[in-house]
Amino acid sequence: MEQRFANSWRMTVNEKKFIQTALLSDLRTDGRGPFDYRNLTIQFGSEDGSSEVQLGQTRVMGFVTSQLVQPYRDRPNEGTLAIFTEFSPMADPSFEAGRPGESALELGRIVDRGLRESRAVDTESLCVIAGKWVWSVRIDLHILDNGGNLVDAANIAALAALLTFRRPECTLGGEDGQEVIIHPPEVREPLSLIVHHLPIAVTFAFMGDQSIVIIDPSHIEEAVMGGKLTATLNTNGDVCAIQKAGGEGVMQSVVMQCLRIASVKAADITGKIKKAVELYKTSRDLKKIKRHPDSEVESHSSKKEERKHKAVIAGTSSWDPYSKAADADELKAGLASQAVATPDEKMDAIQPEKQQLNVMDESPRDADLSPSLSVAAEAGEGKNKAKSLLDAVKPKHKRKKTNLSNSDGS
Amino acid sequence: MDIERAGGRGANQLRPIDCSRDVLSRAHGSASCSHGETRVLAAVFGPKAGTKKNENPEKACIEVIWKAKTGLIGKIEKEFEMILKRTLQNICLLTVHPNTTTSIVVQVVHDDGSLLPCAIHATCAALVDAGIPLKSLAVSLCCCLNESGQILLDPSKLEEQKMKAFVCLVFPSSVHSITPEESTPATTKSTEQEIITSLTHGIMAVDDYFHCVDQGRAAITLLSNILKKKMRSQSADNSSKAA
Repeated sequence: MEQRFANSWRMTVNEKKFIQTALLSDLRTDGRGPFDYRNLTIQFGSEDGSSEVQLGQTRVMGFVTSQLVQPYRDRPNEGTLAIFTEFSPMADPSFEAGRPGESALELGRIVDRGLRESRAVDTESLCVIAGKWVWSVRIDLHILDNGGNLVDAANIAALAALLTFRRPECTLGGEDGQEVIIHPPEVREPLSLIVHHLPIAVTFAFMGDQSIVIIDPSHIEEAVMGGKLTATLNTNGDVCAIQKAGGEGVMQSVVMQCLRIASVKAADITGKIKKAVELYKTSRDLKKIKRHPDSEVESHSSKKEERKHKAVIAGTSSWDPYSKAADADELKAGLASQAVATPDEKMDAIQPEKQQLNVMDESPRDADLSPSLSVAAEAGEGKNKAKSLLDAVKPKHKRKKTNLSNSDGS
Repeated sequence: MDIERAGGRGANQLRPIDCSRDVLSRAHGSASCSHGETRVLAAVFGPKAGTKKNENPEKACIEVIWKAKTGLIGKIEKEFEMILKRTLQNICLLTVHPNTTTSIVVQVVHDDGSLLPCAIHATCAALVDAGIPLKSLAVSLCCCLNESGQILLDPSKLEEQKMKAFVCLVFPSSVHSITPEESTPATTKSTEQEIITSLTHGIMAVDDYFHCVDQGRAAITLLSNILKKKMRSQSADNSSKAA
């Protein structure tokens, strides 16, 4: 407990020397090479536009929300994009609540420049009535755990959240056609944002006098580094932003080398983001099932049964969601053979959005998916077959259900 | 008498609860708790030297920072901070580390009803993870009352908005059964009769309120067993966290 009495964390001289000496032989304390990224995992929350990114020990959460506002005077037909960064005090003992410090502002600006000024998000499509109503998209980035290299992680979180965010559809109505009617998600499917390209930030740290360059510094390396350079690039080869605010002077050749390395890394990270977003979108589509008689859904008998309004059957199912791989085809066969119906109201309550299920993909069982993707509200007694398909999609950790006897009912 | 709840839950049925500790690397203690879709992340830093200005230096001071998902800090967040702080002051042993401040940061990841109970469970688990001395754990439950007078436990967001009233209750729960030793049944019974915190929204009759309290208390023993089991299973695997 005594070490905790100190409010800030200081690095010892021994640790500094060790890191610097190790880097002279191209060794990093966590065993990476100088140009290796840490392990990146991208997870999504239960609603659209919420992402959680873990880059090694660094954890960042991104939330995207939208609102109808009046546009800026000088851009009457463009929507707005605003980024709010919060260095939560939980990330680091030295972060304080309240006004963001300068590193928080710098991070916000780098992400902002990469996204907004490079026109990654199409703002003209956010316009509803020119000069009167436009959509304002707000991105909140919460830094949960400072394991170093917050810029890259925050950038990825912002991009992942933007790619999965959907805004409500609105139409013009009213007598004069000037009123904007926002349709709730149950009525009309929300629309995704148009993202032209993905600007990926890659951070380099410069150490020592021999201009040692490493990528993706951890927080102990950040405490030792002499200078930092963040390059935001996309896969088209465009440089969206470069940020080098002071620090050690670096030769031009080194900067060029960094940019070349950054473009390779950007392609790599873009691939990972796109893959994670695809998986999320597939599972999101699987959750929504349109219940109309003329739906063009593949006619599994299970789907037809789902249209019946039955209560959940209280029977034990022989299917264990936590055992190993249940193949999608197996499940479909299982569903078809069982006469159990999904209660529609259950699905409605959880996912009010309805969508046509075009393709039943292979079950996207992937660790990237957030545990909360699995539909909540398990019935106490029985596990529903159709819902169990969704259960196959995720949960990493077990969930306990409490089932109280009704003896103390009202 | 049984109404149809979304998801096919019974009136007395809680959503699946999950609680995991040590989720963050920099915080001294951290935990993530989820009640169904509601998810809350809590981190504890402390004890740090010194207390705040108007606080009693003979006791440890607890500081709570509540972070909503989006938006600026407003009155609702301040209210939650105050409720959490007072609840935690009751369950922590404040005299062990006098003249120190323990900061607790709560981050709401998703709010789907019964947010305060989820936050309290996350905070307690984070305090356990940080090794802050506690008198007892806090176990919390949300009960709501619908127009027909029926009491439903652990409402979701939609249910909370439709209900006539809902009440959030926090009870103490002995901390002895976290460790592998046997808990003494005598002490557990006496402490679990108290209510630490009770927060109501909406109008309810006095009798209805007491019914809610009874229902809640009956559910608490099961809930606290689940939470302790979650915490115990993790402490068996983890080695002690370096300060």
